[in-house]
Amino acid sequence: MRAATEQDAVRKEGNPRVDDAGEQKFVAETFEEYFRARRDAVRRTAYLLCGDWHHADDHAQAAFVALHRHWRRIRDRGALDAWMRRTLVRAVVDESRRPWRRERATAEPADTGVPARADTVATRHVLVDGLRAVPPRQRAVLVLRFLDGLDVAATAAALGCTEGTVKSQTAHGLAALRTVLGDSLDDLRTTGSG
Amino acid sequence: MSDNDDEELGALFRAAASDPGAPAPRFDHDSVVSASRRATVRRRVAVAGSAVVLLAVAGVGAAVTLPGSLRGDDTTVAAPMLAPAPAAAPGARQDAAPGADARAEGAAPPLGPVGRPLGPGTTECADRQDPALRTLVEEVLPAVRDASEAATTMECRPAGERGVNVEIDDGGATGLLAVQYLPPGTIVALVPGAVSAPTASGGTVIVSSRPAEVGAPAPFEDRLTSVAGFLAPRL
Repeated sequence: MRAATEQDAVRKEGNPRVDDAGEQKFVAETFEEYFRARRDAVRRTAYLLCGDWHHADDHAQAAFVALHRHWRRIRDRGALDAWMRRTLVRAVVDESRRPWRRERATAEPADTGVPARADTVATRHVLVDGLRAVPPRQRAVLVLRFLDGLDVAATAAALGCTEGTVKSQTAHGLAALRTVLGDSLDDLRTTGSG
Repeated sequence: MSDNDDEELGALFRAAASDPGAPAPRFDHDSVVSASRRATVRRRVAVAGSAVVLLAVAGVGAAVTLPGSLRGDDTTVAAPMLAPAPAAAPGARQDAAPGADARAEGAAPPLGPVGRPLGPGTTECADRQDPALRTLVEEVLPAVRDASEAATTMECRPAGERGVNVEIDDGGATGLLAVQYLPPGTIVALVPGAVSAPTASGGTVIVSSRPAEVGAPAPFEDRLTSVAGFLAPRL
């Protein structure tokens, strides 16, 4: 089930062609404004979803390209962020499911060694590596909830699933993260919030 | 999980994503707009190319048939050239026309012209949606014509993989239809529910459908085999 706002975000209208030059300029400017405002945030979300900046750039750029191709037909500009998140998540999850390009095997757990006083760099790397060992769908739930700060309902809308699924995936995802990181997660939480 | 836990985890995730050593973005506004326009042009060219091929095939058929007719011969040269010509073949193109239902599972797939198989695509880093493959998918599944592209990934395809992913509606059953072509030599391990077939170029075509909601019926899940069967000799 997808939220109505997402379904409405991109849809075909009867006559999508925009002939008026002034309107074309307005369309171009509004897209550029959105792009400049959201590029870094979309990159960060993509980075935690896939764990690699280069892949994150690929996914983020692809999402913006898809958005640009639909820009003139967008009715609900308030649903743009949700649409972008859904696009990113689906791209990353689909890529992870692709049989000929699997993600790094989870049999290679991240190095969970965390110094007693973990600095920010260690925090970042340990968590990112740990997230890569979490199943993609659960990882997406964790990223949307804790990086993007979405509540359960908004996460469900972004992922096209029920709120119950989000709750269970959150629990499973955190459990998986804790399995990979062990006590390091609690150490990191102390460090990250400190 | 308490609100405090959420706040701590949020701070941790934000710290992890705020990497001052991250590389500079490899794309900007202009590159996004350019890629969007290239994708649009590719799509238009693919559609136009498909129409030209159909016209050319029709033209060849007429030209070859005409001399036989002038000789007063009841048979045509085209018949053996285009054989095998089962009874259903003459109507096959009409089956694929808009409005006709070419979907009967178990029946022979619509017999569009099977020329040289597409084979591997370009190896550039590009939009994952492949216009030529989409044209073929639209031929066997007309509902795809009105379907929106699903999430795409700008990625490198060193072996020339092709892919089409569309948000599709099958009489209320909505979801994602994914069609992938893998070049020869690719090791394939299918995800549950996916259907594969060896292609004419020695590669593999994989067709899968996923519902928008867990537990709901996947769109066109009963047609995946016939879609793969249609695409295999054309890829």
